[in-house]
Amino acid sequence: MAIAKKERVNKRVIYDLALFGGPQLFSYIISTSNLVRPDIEVFLSYSRQFHERKQYTNNGPMVRLLESRLAELHRTKHCIAFANGFWAIVLTMKALALPGRTEIVIPSLTYRRLADIIAWLQLKPRFCEVDPQTLAVTADTVAACVNDETAAILAAHPIVNCCDVEGVAALGRRTGIPVVFDSVESVYESVAGGKIGSFGRAECFSLHASKLINGFEGGYVSTDDDDLARRLTLMRGFGFNGPDNVVEFGLNAKLCEAHACMALACLDDLEDQVARNRARYHRYKEALRKAPGLRLLEFDERYGTSYKNIVVELTPGWPLSRAHTLDILHAEGALARPYYSPPLHRKSMSYPHIPADLPITDQLAEKFMLLPCGHFVTDADIDALCALLAFIDGNAAQIHGRLAS
Amino acid sequence: MNATRSRQLAILGGAPAFEQPVPVGQLYFPSWEKYEAQFRDIFARQYYTNQGPLAQELERRLATFLGVRHVICVANATIGLIMAAESLGLKGKVITPSFTFIATAQSLEWANLQPVFCDVDLGTHCVTPQTIMPQLNEDVSAILAVNLWNGSCGPEALQDFAAAHNLKLFFDSAHSFGCAANGVPIGGFGDVEVFSFHATKVFSAAEGGCLTTNNDEIAKKLRNIRSSYGAGPPVPVIKTSNGRMSEAQAAIALMSLEDFPAILDRNRRLFSLYRECFAQIQGLRLIEPANVSKTNHQYIVVDVETDAFGLTRDELLQALKAENIIARRYFYPGAHRCPPWDGRNSSNGTVLPNTETLCERIMQFPTGASVSENDVLRIGELLQAISKWAPDVRKALER
Repeated sequence: MAIAKKERVNKRVIYDLALFGGPQLFSYIISTSNLVRPDIEVFLSYSRQFHERKQYTNNGPMVRLLESRLAELHRTKHCIAFANGFWAIVLTMKALALPGRTEIVIPSLTYRRLADIIAWLQLKPRFCEVDPQTLAVTADTVAACVNDETAAILAAHPIVNCCDVEGVAALGRRTGIPVVFDSVESVYESVAGGKIGSFGRAECFSLHASKLINGFEGGYVSTDDDDLARRLTLMRGFGFNGPDNVVEFGLNAKLCEAHACMALACLDDLEDQVARNRARYHRYKEALRKAPGLRLLEFDERYGTSYKNIVVELTPGWPLSRAHTLDILHAEGALARPYYSPPLHRKSMSYPHIPADLPITDQLAEKFMLLPCGHFVTDADIDALCALLAFIDGNAAQIHGRLAS
Repeated sequence: MNATRSRQLAILGGAPAFEQPVPVGQLYFPSWEKYEAQFRDIFARQYYTNQGPLAQELERRLATFLGVRHVICVANATIGLIMAAESLGLKGKVITPSFTFIATAQSLEWANLQPVFCDVDLGTHCVTPQTIMPQLNEDVSAILAVNLWNGSCGPEALQDFAAAHNLKLFFDSAHSFGCAANGVPIGGFGDVEVFSFHATKVFSAAEGGCLTTNNDEIAKKLRNIRSSYGAGPPVPVIKTSNGRMSEAQAAIALMSLEDFPAILDRNRRLFSLYRECFAQIQGLRLIEPANVSKTNHQYIVVDVETDAFGLTRDELLQALKAENIIARRYFYPGAHRCPPWDGRNSSNGTVLPNTETLCERIMQFPTGASVSENDVLRIGELLQAISKWAPDVRKALER
């Protein structure tokens, strides 16, 4: 569907801002969700295969094809597909957590539901600090939280670039504590030690429409561990090993065929998508020069990256609070978002957890925001958004005045 | 059936009656033309999940169809059951039958509850106040009842029982979409009901399900537990999940809803034919829909009486398998004999005699999209032949 675009009116005075009653800059919503749309004909040609074979779910032919394609992408022995990323992580942690222990180490500056995942395991999240440069866990920040109760480590990659994968994986090997990576934002990334997907005991990914690979809903786990792969495959299907034979405790976390077809169509488009993302990123990089108070978090281009997420730091040179900046952008139809804010340890939790004091996380949680990215965002949108940011920067005193009145 | 043909039973060395395996499970699915059109629309709309327009429409239409205030669509019924238990704020033990699909009990463990297995009625295969009573004690906070096959467990009587004992009551109604008890659609009973839209069910989203309730507060909680998208006003919940249904699933379900009258009609005709077949065979008794004024006829469930039929249930299954008829034991074994409960004293040491009996005798036959009326007639003829040649079949199996 071609989305009709209205003629854009540049903001000349602050009353042109939509927040103050002016016309909205974007005639359709642009957001931080990827919402990549693969070729419909490719999707349909995959769909025809399961439709003709009349197998609509239960580890069908398209799910199996998807799993082998994903294993190729990550260069791992196994990929196991799930109904969504949430339950993929729950089951992986359930399979790997050391029995008798009560805590899982996770960062606080991460996905808003990650602590709930630990609660579903009837275990306690222990929140660790992150590195102020990478916004991610390191071997040291994780090690500071490891104790006799540590059942596993769930290390999450940040939104741009990767955490200290090799360091954390080595910590796991040294201590004997299973390390799992939440690699939802790092599908296409590599680090010096190799492709993301092959580190730790397992890595978990999402196929949600907002992620790099859109499978409507879905998730998957990559691992080189044969036994873990076998167990996870059983656990996502109620623990059935053949008819009438329950051998593991599980649930239903199966991916259906239609979702697998969507993910396969996205995989076929992946290289092209990364090129499109790269073009958007470079456009942002260029256009954001007009708003010098915002520092773009740059991708590490040495080993391979998806260029998907656009994250900026609001430096001391930026004249408005993040909340006010977001209010203005939202009113214009640009759904920018604060970066992992509030952090998890600051949220009220009615389940058992280890209270944490994390000054670096607290500070970082105030400083960053995600700008719109993905399939809906055109070069013109990027230019218009950055011009808007420059306008905000240049008229901050008046905006402050209007906001205060 | 003449002797020449009956000697051709596959188990006795003949060719299988069916070239391709005939499975159990409904496996109805929208036509390719409908599927293609719906997905072209989704791609044009570019709305893929997060309580999109199709999920919203499905919830509205199901609320009307099921005659219930709130319908909350979910990724699958097991996640739905977990969410239901979570939303009710339960503690300690929950009484549930062992004679059910394993997910019923698994969902309770995920919600940090201890299933206490009760027995079922030998006639309906469902829980009743009488089968629940022996398991009742002060640690029990709820009953998770199961509506089985094409019938129900008699939800009104259970509502009275739960109210009298101050227990929450929720239903695994995975089998009962489109059924009604005394004219009231299944879906509005107890605190919550959970339906399955799995491909093998009468109403399919390939994977999927929904929660139904007339309780506004529970509905709000469920929407908050499912995901923040479509949550409506935030209400406090202990923890959230991802239980979302995608637009792809909702599209398949909406197409299935359109096809539903035709599906019911086809199921009814197949059921009637099976009924005629079993009427001519000693020792195979078709389980008729129990406690319902309206049924979906989605399961052909049969009680095998070995002495009259000449073979045990498991022998019959093997003879059918040789013909490519993939009939199934269902349920076998009972949940109380599966891990992690097999080593535990989950039914308070009480034996479950009816459950054990049913697990040994009950089987289901293929029906639904994979089976034609002619196929049913052929299965009927084969059953007569198998019964007639039972001693030979048994000998062949012993070899």
